[in-house]
Amino acid sequence: MKAVGARLPRYDGVGHATGRTVYVDDVRVNRMLHVKALRSPYHHAAIKRLDTSRAEQMPGVAAVVTHADVPLLVYGHLSALGIPADEPLLASEDVRYKGQPIAVVAAEDTDAAQAAVDAIDIEFEELPALFDMRKAFDDDAPQIHHWGPIYPHFEGEMNVRQIRKGNIDEAFEQADKIIQGVYRPAAIEQMPLETQVGLSVPEPDGRFTIYSCTQALYFSMGVVAAHLQQPLNKFKFVGGTVGGGFGGKVDTATETLCTLLAQKSGRPVKWRWTREEEFLCSSTRAPWHMEIIDAVSNDGWILGRKMLTLHDAGGYARFSPYGVTKHSFHHTGAYTIPNLHFDGYVVFTNRVPTSAMRGYGVTSVSFAVETHMSRIAEELGVDPFELRLKNANRIGDTSPNGITYTDPSTVDVLHALAGATDTELAAPYSDTTREMRHGEWLPEHLVGQLGDPEDH
Amino acid sequence: MNIIVNGNNRTVESPPLTPLLHVLREELDVLSPKAGCENGGCGACTVLIDGAPRRSCLTAVGSVPDAEVTTVEGLGAPETMSDVQQAFVHYCAAQCGFCTPGMIIAATAYLEGGGSADRVEISEALAGHVCRCTGYLKILDAVAAARDGGFDLSTTAESPHTTVLT
Amino acid sequence: MGSSAEVIRPGSPSEATSAYGDGAGAAVLAGGTLLVPDLHFGRARPERVIMLGDAGLSYVTRSNGTVTIGATTPVDALVGESSPLGPCAASIGDNEIRAQATVGGNLCAPAGFGDLQGPLLALGATARSAGAGGERSESLEDFLTDRSGRLLLDVTYAEPAAGAFASLGRPHAHHYTVMAVSGVRTVDGATQLAVVGAGTVGSRLRSAEALAGDAEAAGDAAGDAVNPSDDPLASGWYRTRTLPALVKQVLSELEASA
Ligand SMILES: Cc1cc2nc3c(=O)[nH]c(=O)nc-3n(C[C@H](O)[C@H](O)[C@H](O)COP(=O)(O)OP(=O)(O)OC[C@H]3O[C@@H](n4cnc5c(N)ncnc54)[C@H](O)[C@@H]3O)c2cc1C
Ligand code: FES
Ligand code: FES
Repeated sequence: MKAVGARLPRYDGVGHATGRTVYVDDVRVNRMLHVKALRSPYHHAAIKRLDTSRAEQMPGVAAVVTHADVPLLVYGHLSALGIPADEPLLASEDVRYKGQPIAVVAAEDTDAAQAAVDAIDIEFEELPALFDMRKAFDDDAPQIHHWGPIYPHFEGEMNVRQIRKGNIDEAFEQADKIIQGVYRPAAIEQMPLETQVGLSVPEPDGRFTIYSCTQALYFSMGVVAAHLQQPLNKFKFVGGTVGGGFGGKVDTATETLCTLLAQKSGRPVKWRWTREEEFLCSSTRAPWHMEIIDAVSNDGWILGRKMLTLHDAGGYARFSPYGVTKHSFHHTGAYTIPNLHFDGYVVFTNRVPTSAMRGYGVTSVSFAVETHMSRIAEELGVDPFELRLKNANRIGDTSPNGITYTDPSTVDVLHALAGATDTELAAPYSDTTREMRHGEWLPEHLVGQLGDPEDH
Repeated sequence: MNIIVNGNNRTVESPPLTPLLHVLREELDVLSPKAGCENGGCGACTVLIDGAPRRSCLTAVGSVPDAEVTTVEGLGAPETMSDVQQAFVHYCAAQCGFCTPGMIIAATAYLEGGGSADRVEISEALAGHVCRCTGYLKILDAVAAARDGGFDLSTTAESPHTTVLT
Repeated sequence: MGSSAEVIRPGSPSEATSAYGDGAGAAVLAGGTLLVPDLHFGRARPERVIMLGDAGLSYVTRSNGTVTIGATTPVDALVGESSPLGPCAASIGDNEIRAQATVGGNLCAPAGFGDLQGPLLALGATARSAGAGGERSESLEDFLTDRSGRLLLDVTYAEPAAGAFASLGRPHAHHYTVMAVSGVRTVDGATQLAVVGAGTVGSRLRSAEALAGDAEAAGDAAGDAVNPSDDPLASGWYRTRTLPALVKQVLSELEASA
């Protein structure tokens, strides 16, 4: 054990501090081409005509790629798990968000590429757009997705992620009070300092060396191979040096199109997004709409929770079903609630597709739950620490999806927080432990939910 | 025209309105200044021009003929790192490292101008530099300690960052 | 990417004036903090670019209580000036931006920037400019109303008896000012107020000036006089309701320093 607990220097620290670290944009290869994309100027439109012949003849242009050039147009990051995909690599019939790529041009420099993009002949028919996911369920809501307003493939064919635990009706019958709240965190751009960038180099043996800023190298590799319908051994990925990601570089952004352009032109192709593209066209953290209704007792036990979550996927599903599933597993936060009724929907809108960001699916619900805990404490007139310590996850408690906790940290964190804020906790809260519930810590409503940590 | 980059005389062919950032990166292969935003908003492209920190993405090369340009490559190589560079390594002040060249350039200018170890003053000096990874505290620690020099790079510092800035 | 515009480097103010001519097809490159990326990304496509760096327009001169600031004086040269000019200059961008950005570029910047318009309007500054019809001097207020085709040479103002500056929020160096109010008490005892962030350019708050003795009424009058629109920084609604508070703050600071 030379490494665990030791203060080892970062392996890349010296490279960073001396400017020697080679990021994707720093890789130099001869005869490199540069990319610009034709992106949708509309939030929602039908593509009536797309003709790139004039762009192909422009000076300095080496290759133009549209949907017609992609061997497998529709593929998703979750496809390898057998989950249906919905997003074309390049838009073909319609565009569902502003900034969606429709065609890409590789040229001698970015000016030539942009001039060719401007020369692409395209005609749109603008369609009504939807930005507020709460309106997706209205009868007159714009129809934007071929799957309908919500994602229909949870567990194959359910349009909702559900959790049912315990006996929710009984909990609400026993409640002294019912306390509700609505929580709506907004979208956030991950904003890594390095924008999306990729470089694909065709090798003499027919393989491609792909320099990637991805956070998820094997995901990207699988996605490129699938779209190109080639075996994985055709692609050598060089990754690991990421100029920040924060979830924004989980989705494959540039590698596939660079490789298609490299294949068509026979030359190395680099695509670095501008900061403007990064802000306007790259995935963001999702906006969420969360409604929590809790059945509580006057002495501060949370007997049951009903929760409705709407997750804004933007124009396509991407990882959203995964995000909502993870969200559902965490919808009680750091606390134990035995009776649950959770419904979570992935809703399509005409915003940029949303994706991972730091604690995917969980930060939203943590915000909602902690705010709601404070609201409960206030409405009941109980101390917010005491409310939290009472309901804190303990060894043997079970999560919404039935996992028995063996190493929960809620109690320790709350005690540390009290210490850091000079909060005096009264007994017995000052002595609460994370050990299995018993005695006053095991009220009747929690008996049935206890699991056996040994089984874990 | 000519500019002096890290002590070397370099001839520039790019048109005079080209941002210095692109002259350095695309024409002269000096790669430590990063194109984080190309609009002046992030600081990753900062270099020293005649000793003063400047955003190279906002500087037309034609407006700085014969200038002495220093990038982080010129402050020290891995074997010859400056105290500021060593401090960034020792305090783990570089995480993804993309902001680091600009941070080190600005911090170097700040300390050479007699800047103190006061964290509020350091944060003012680095105000134009965005870091999305570190949360800044380790960077403030590194700059505050840099003047001490003599860092043991086989290990890392216990971060003293107790100051909460208001 | 890049601009292929013709580049002209005048070596004196008069060379700058003749190179600029009537300004047709010309862009003036001062500090370049806005223009350089605009040229790079093709957001500005002038035929000729006049680089002012060597034009001899960087100066601050003082005589008999009058201050003249050359157009290419860097913003950070003003940080030590008394309120409202100094505090306003200190609130612009960060130290690297302030060292590169110029006073002229700031006054001529597109809507959303131009923070120095506030204090210099409140100071009742005169703007000297060149362009079609030759050189002319006019109030900065008139200059800002229509500055197209003009090359700003310098601004001149009389040192005030007292000054104050109030700006909305500065959570980070990368904020752009939502709204700021500058106030000046002239040596004759008159109160002059100006705002940036309530329209596309800065403006004097004359109805509030007339009520300067009653801060409450002056604030309300200022709020009634503007009709700001929404932009990414703040809504017009928010700005309209913020302005009275800033006016009151400036007036009470002026009162305290008198
Ligand atoms: C990170 C960052 C932060 C910023 N923060 C602020 C801020 O807080 N407040 C603020 O006001 N601005 C801010 N700016 C905008 C800008 O930097 C300033 O307004 C600056 O003063 C512009 O001056 P410049 O000399 O760099 O202008 P330039 O880019 O050289 O020119 C700007 C415009 O003015 C014209 N121009 C320049 N000089 C003259 C002249 N003498 N006569 C006629 N036209 C002229 C140019 O042609 C151009 O259209 C910020 C910019 C950045 C990148
Ligand atoms: S690249 Fe120059 S400031 Fe961001
Ligand atoms: S270390 Fe990644 S942005 Fe600063």
